[in-house]
Amino acid sequence: MKRRTFMQIGAAGGAAAAIGMKTASGIARSSDTEFALTISPANTELIDGTWVYTLSYFLGSSRPSPEIRVTEGEEISITVTNKDTQTHGFAIPGIASATIPAIEPGATAHVVFKAPWAGSFLYVDPYKEPLNRILGLHGAFIVEAEEGKTPYGSETPFSGPKQTPQVQALFDALGGGDPRFPGDQWRRNDLRRDKLWLFSQTDPALNARVAAGEMVDPAKVKANFVPRYFTINGLSGYDTAIHEGSHSDDDDDDWDDDDNPAGRIMPSGKEGEPCLIRTMNAGLANHSVHIHGNHCFILSGVDSEYRNECALYCFERDVWQLSPMQRTDVLLPFKRPPDIPLSAWPPKDEPFPLRYVMHCHFELSQTAGGGNYPQGAVTHWEMTAPL
Amino acid sequence: MSNLEDTAFEERLTFSTFGCDPFKADPRTPDREDADVTIRLEGAEGMDLRAPDGRKIKVWSFENKSVPDGQRRLTYPSAPIRVRQGQIVHTRLSTSKGPHTVHHHGIEPSTANDGVGHVSFEVGDSYTYQWQPSSPGTFFYHCHRNTVLHFELGMFGLLIVDPPSGPGSIYEGGPTYDVEQAWVADDMDPRFHAISNHDAGLCGLDVGLNRFEPKYFLLSGVFNNRTMTDSRTMVSAKLGQRILIRLLNASYSILRVALGCDAEWVACDGRNMGQDPWCDTVPIPAGTPFELTTAQRYDLILSPPARGTYPVRMEFRHWITGEIQDRGAGVVQTKVVVS
Repeated sequence: MKRRTFMQIGAAGGAAAAIGMKTASGIARSSDTEFALTISPANTELIDGTWVYTLSYFLGSSRPSPEIRVTEGEEISITVTNKDTQTHGFAIPGIASATIPAIEPGATAHVVFKAPWAGSFLYVDPYKEPLNRILGLHGAFIVEAEEGKTPYGSETPFSGPKQTPQVQALFDALGGGDPRFPGDQWRRNDLRRDKLWLFSQTDPALNARVAAGEMVDPAKVKANFVPRYFTINGLSGYDTAIHEGSHSDDDDDDWDDDDNPAGRIMPSGKEGEPCLIRTMNAGLANHSVHIHGNHCFILSGVDSEYRNECALYCFERDVWQLSPMQRTDVLLPFKRPPDIPLSAWPPKDEPFPLRYVMHCHFELSQTAGGGNYPQGAVTHWEMTAPL
Repeated sequence: MSNLEDTAFEERLTFSTFGCDPFKADPRTPDREDADVTIRLEGAEGMDLRAPDGRKIKVWSFENKSVPDGQRRLTYPSAPIRVRQGQIVHTRLSTSKGPHTVHHHGIEPSTANDGVGHVSFEVGDSYTYQWQPSSPGTFFYHCHRNTVLHFELGMFGLLIVDPPSGPGSIYEGGPTYDVEQAWVADDMDPRFHAISNHDAGLCGLDVGLNRFEPKYFLLSGVFNNRTMTDSRTMVSAKLGQRILIRLLNASYSILRVALGCDAEWVACDGRNMGQDPWCDTVPIPAGTPFELTTAQRYDLILSPPARGTYPVRMEFRHWITGEIQDRGAGVVQTKVVVS
């Protein structure tokens, strides 16, 4: 079995050459306020070597589903060119003014809007919802806080007026003398402390019907959806984490650690370096996100109109529900894994980094092509050293 | 010293060792300490359940070898583990019918003791997992090899951590209870239970492990035709007693629960609420539905104000459509009787 390496852009007609996914994680930085996206079909190779027809938003010529980052309050301009043969659109649920309902084939459309209060959002194609979204037309839209400090001066990902007392209390406890959280506070403007887990699923039979030119009724997509592939930021299983030392002598790998998109997924740091994880679900299946090694604190969710809202209860969970179109920010505290015997910390026989998996506990999502456990919605995080 | 040869600590993680061919080893426990409690599990042991429609369902279980011969019996779910906060615990796994692991879900030990093959190793013959629970609460354990199959087939059990003073309060100085009931919700797809190969699908064969169509619905090992009366599911209390419910969703469905009496949600996923300013306890009024996604735990305190029978309804809902499984049949009902 081969590993996923390639994506063919514009391959509906079969013309494009395969290109490597050297996407530098596809991050559009928050100093930018203007973004030009292109909608195009592509053939994408999945983790078990299966190829499927997909649709993506591209930034530039080869960055599928870019993570767009902006700062709250800025005027944001998004231009979308539709290079597909079908009508598409653009929307950010929770930011009503960021909507382009329809873009005809070959047309270019434009929207200007003010970035709302800081939070994690999804951009999607609202046209024939949820069909085009599940074929791949989705990505993360991150609004960073201008300041984000609590009244005590602790940095958070959320703006002061939107912070709840619960979120403030939690961020103030980090690195602030509470013996449960020794080490550092959370730090903004550092992508090592700010990770993205964008979940989705693929049912190749649906993609094949669309590729064959069938007009699929979007109202019937959900009831007939039988996903066989499960992704985080477009990657599955082995590809979702960086494997130290596995690159130099592995012919199948075509990226090095610096531009490996798994770097946006896999948290890595020392004890006492808390990390924000923005979890969201662009798919049609619920996920049951389970993390090993540390419980996570729930920081935010969405309201009935998909607007971001900070939590009134920062539950400390090892499993959280991520329903379709849900976005939940969590804090991975990077505490000493609390159930290692105190007398055995730091470990002497067992080497760092300590590695802990995160996987969806609807275990069906741990498969690829009906088997291949655990080549689905799984990754891991690592603690590289004690305090 | 521990010998971590043939594990992820010494070997390179590749596409193959990630999935099809994970590390298999039997090292001595690294950083081993003397244990306060030792639990001996053997897995997998097979047994048959008789479903309400007469069908025989094969399940796999962990056998608790700490219980003397003669008193020991296989159960579904597997034998519960109950220890106290602060004890150094050794879970000694010996395997039969191929490699397995024990992952103590919600317990956070070192990587070698976490039971996930591709970042550590699976157990070929035997291994002693070491952990020291720091938080009292409701947890569970399960095999983490080909988990989609091994967990569904029954290689899981409840794990309760009591505070140092023992049962009776959810944490030292915390809310107390007089009566305790564990509700472990589970669903079964008979197609999964007809698979005899423990490694099914691991190396790429399509064995349909992405599809799950449950036909049987159970609470704490009791099929839903008997959950109204079985002592493992119904709750009997006297007026004025405080009841602790430990609720675990061990199914592959979203569990929607409604209780016939008020409840207070006091702990989730083995972490107490109401102790820190960022997470108070949550009152759940009678009849208000709440959802547990798979592997979540809710600890609930009930103190019904009057004698009576309070109904409990749990719906197993599909992870995509959100509809009640098996065309509406995926429901478990039980009751709380206060006399």
